[in-house]
Amino acid sequence: MNGRKRGRFARQTGWNVLGLAIFVVMVFPVFWMLSTAFKSNEQIISLNPTWFPLHPTIQHFRDAIHRPFFWVDVKNSLIIVSVTVAISIVLAFLAAIALARYRFGGRKLFIVLVIGIQMLPQAGLIIPLYVVLARYHQTNALTGVIVTYMTFVLPFSVWTLRGFLLGIPKELEEAAMVDGSTRVGVFMKILLPLMGPGLVATSVFAFITTWNEYIFARVLLNDQSKQTVTVWLSYFSGSSRHTDWGALMAASSLTAIPVVIFFLLVQRRIAFGLTQGAVRG
Amino acid sequence: MKRRSIVALCLVAVLAAAITTAATLGATKKATASSITVWLQVDAQSGWPGVVAAANQQFQSDHPGTTVNVQYQNWGDHLQKFDATLAGGGGPDVIEMGNTEMTKYMAAGAFAALDKTTFDNSANWLKGLAASGAFGGKTYGVPYYAGSRVVTYRTDLFKKAGIKKLPATTAQYMADAKLLFAKNPKKGFSSVYIAGTDWYFAMSFVFDYGGGIATQVSGKWKGLLASPQSIAGLTAYKNFFLATSRGSKTTDESHPNAYDVYAQGLAASMIGPSWFNCCVGKAYTPTTAQFVMPGHVKGQAIPGFLGGSDLAVPVTSSNKALATDWIKDFTNTSSEKGLQAKGNIPNATNLLGTSINERAAARSWFVPTAKHWVDVENGNILRNMLAQILTNKLTIQQAASSASDNIASVLNQP
Amino acid sequence: MVPAVETTFDRSRRRRRFWNRTLQGAVPYGLIAPIVVVIAVILGYPLYWLVKLSTERYGLFELIRHSGTSIGLDNYRSVLRDSIFWHTLLRTVIFTAANVTLTMVIGTLLALLLVRVSTVVRILLSSGLVLVWSMPVVVAVQIWYWMTNYQNGVVNYALTKLGFGNFFQHDWYATTFSQLSLTTLLIVWGALPFVVITLYAGLAQVPRDLVEAAEVDGARGWRVFLDITLPILRPILLILTSLSIIWDFGVFTQPYLLIGQSKIVPGNYLMSVYLFEEGYFKSDYGRGAAISLLMLLMVAVLSVVYVRKMVRIGDAQ
Repeated sequence: MNGRKRGRFARQTGWNVLGLAIFVVMVFPVFWMLSTAFKSNEQIISLNPTWFPLHPTIQHFRDAIHRPFFWVDVKNSLIIVSVTVAISIVLAFLAAIALARYRFGGRKLFIVLVIGIQMLPQAGLIIPLYVVLARYHQTNALTGVIVTYMTFVLPFSVWTLRGFLLGIPKELEEAAMVDGSTRVGVFMKILLPLMGPGLVATSVFAFITTWNEYIFARVLLNDQSKQTVTVWLSYFSGSSRHTDWGALMAASSLTAIPVVIFFLLVQRRIAFGLTQGAVRG
Repeated sequence: MKRRSIVALCLVAVLAAAITTAATLGATKKATASSITVWLQVDAQSGWPGVVAAANQQFQSDHPGTTVNVQYQNWGDHLQKFDATLAGGGGPDVIEMGNTEMTKYMAAGAFAALDKTTFDNSANWLKGLAASGAFGGKTYGVPYYAGSRVVTYRTDLFKKAGIKKLPATTAQYMADAKLLFAKNPKKGFSSVYIAGTDWYFAMSFVFDYGGGIATQVSGKWKGLLASPQSIAGLTAYKNFFLATSRGSKTTDESHPNAYDVYAQGLAASMIGPSWFNCCVGKAYTPTTAQFVMPGHVKGQAIPGFLGGSDLAVPVTSSNKALATDWIKDFTNTSSEKGLQAKGNIPNATNLLGTSINERAAARSWFVPTAKHWVDVENGNILRNMLAQILTNKLTIQQAASSASDNIASVLNQP
Repeated sequence: MVPAVETTFDRSRRRRRFWNRTLQGAVPYGLIAPIVVVIAVILGYPLYWLVKLSTERYGLFELIRHSGTSIGLDNYRSVLRDSIFWHTLLRTVIFTAANVTLTMVIGTLLALLLVRVSTVVRILLSSGLVLVWSMPVVVAVQIWYWMTNYQNGVVNYALTKLGFGNFFQHDWYATTFSQLSLTTLLIVWGALPFVVITLYAGLAQVPRDLVEAAEVDGARGWRVFLDITLPILRPILLILTSLSIIWDFGVFTQPYLLIGQSKIVPGNYLMSVYLFEEGYFKSDYGRGAAISLLMLLMVAVLSVVYVRKMVRIGDAQ
């Protein structure tokens, strides 16, 4: 008994070491961005790389925050992203249920529409999208951007959530229905908990994609008081003069914070779901 | 319990959407007679906000009741935004355009014609800038400001190498470079840091020897790079590069930035815009100065590339008269003096001062004012030619002829 | 049992049943309606615009006047006759294959690894992945460039110090292969988080009792994976593969910024860069529209196998 436990412990330690090694390699560029934000300008361009700034400076963070419209643009980004993600995930989930659990005419057409939209290169859509939104007075408005982002988030959300739904065996629902529960009851008690991880993964992706989106926000929003934080970030390297790299790295580090917070809040759902599901695979 | 939270979530989402709709729908600003929209690059926001504020004040006192909405743009995507507004409306009343960006838009009829005589100092506008704003005999762009190229150098290194007088010819400069190399044997050190494919600098040599890039002969563009004068200029550039720079022969002038190389202590001098002295590092700022790059004839500066911006009124604007007035206020003598104080070159010769930047602008060159010139730049034709010449992949004659024909065919597209 | 004569009660029951069934049948349409409406309203005109413009000569001149001249299929003809188009297509197909394979293989392995590590390491690794995921692409490209630039990049420094050879001032952007390889590394690095986290979420759906039952029956780890886990993961793997193909085929920002505008030449074009350079940079919107629609066709062909499988899985249920 002891030998087996020791064997398992040794194996898990092996996996842990591998996991940590991969963590270091994957995260290195992020670490580089963060450490650059704390380095002095001399250290940033120096020929001998400074791996770890021993005398960190917070001047870059101060420069970044004091650039005009930082907090306003962060607020705009938060509004746009949370509304987009909230509405899109709900709508996509409903559509995914329709696709995965119902047979209806036009089903195949809808699937083709959903996957087809993603195949369109976005570059070609900038001008006509602007023309459409201008007609409805939705340029220079947060709602115009929200609606635009929804059209990009909805397709892959539907596609992905449908996949997760298909992974849930229908027998579970049918067994519950036989036991007398209603359709809505099945939805609440069986589907939703099992879909937790899928919903979380999809919403994190939607969050990050919309948080980091640049070109449509740039073209659609004019007033600096309405722009998103990615547009605010672009001003650091938009002039014809030199770019303040330290400030740009500090600013980028700051803009990553909401994403990480969002993930830490929702990641428990995935881990929790996992202990309900398979542990070894 | 879960059902309630789901319903609540949906309600919150819908409510949020409704609120943002209500809040932003009413707030969409349209350029009416009570406001005009001006697009300036972000250089103005960080470089000379006072000049912008003064012009706005002047405008508003002349036009009480009209506000000026200045929106700052990035060089990288301001044209994409502009194109979208040309198609869908909601564009600016005044737009800042780079001088190399103007011709394509003027040829397409994107701007309103302006009366040149109503602007301050228009009779003395810098030739290079004025040319970029003129098309078919009409004026569409008002010169805003310019920048030239100068040499930024280390006074201490020059002193240590025994260089007593600043070089007055390129030959002298090459000789001085030898002295600098002797005293600075560090690996990767350049007496003059030049990036191989820096065509802005290389073409200065071509123009210094009387050559050119392309010219229009009875409506058709003819390439000039293969002419004997241009070849002489390219040869001179190659010799100068090999004698003074250890920079990469195939890289451009921002990979790496010259001022970064300088700040790392690997360059005794560098060629670039005058604002390069902003970023030479704390250690070298006290020993950094500038001088005008000499040509091959003593007493003559090498012709420098005149970069700059123009201001134009898009044809889609519904406030053209007000827009023109704003431009007048922003480019009048006092505004230009304000720009000059911030290190720029003002737009007229009678305003020129004696800063190194302005002295270098006395002899300047500009790109062919052709509708398709931007395609030549984007196609990297000149850069590839320079890389081929410096790496000896082709002889100067071969590289120049092929580039010349290439340029002519691109410029002659319908 | 149907009575000989229908009473009013029977008729109303029949009506109720008819409405119930209609409502039931209308449920799926109601569920997809909002999405159809949003997409139709927002993307309807842009799609029409793309198709219409692809048959017109439409440049800056026409854009300002809001009308182009019809030239039939000339735009398509000029693109299909362009040898650069075909070379770029081949290069992009190979590029996409490399990217997708690396992403899916490494992603699956990492997801399986996430299952096996302890909770602390799992949270660390998944948070690290999210940090990677959250970096704006422009910033990631800049960091990548700094790390690999010939002048003072840490990669050269580290490789030399670790004894892999002399990489002093090695220019990683000198050859097309090197440029595209670095771009591949950057894209795969940025794409792994989505794949790993989605697969990990998918693994969460594998019911524990099924796995334990199989193990009681004596099945070993690998067999459990093949027989139980893989079939359940199959839809998600198909989705991720099809999405990866679509995204990697049309990727633009990374190659364009990493290689740099001054080094972009037809010899290292990818399809989206070709679209940008030959269409939008030249303000030739007609040509750009034609190339966009051709790209749509290409990527549909490339991903049809996976998309069909996905659709069929749904049908089988």
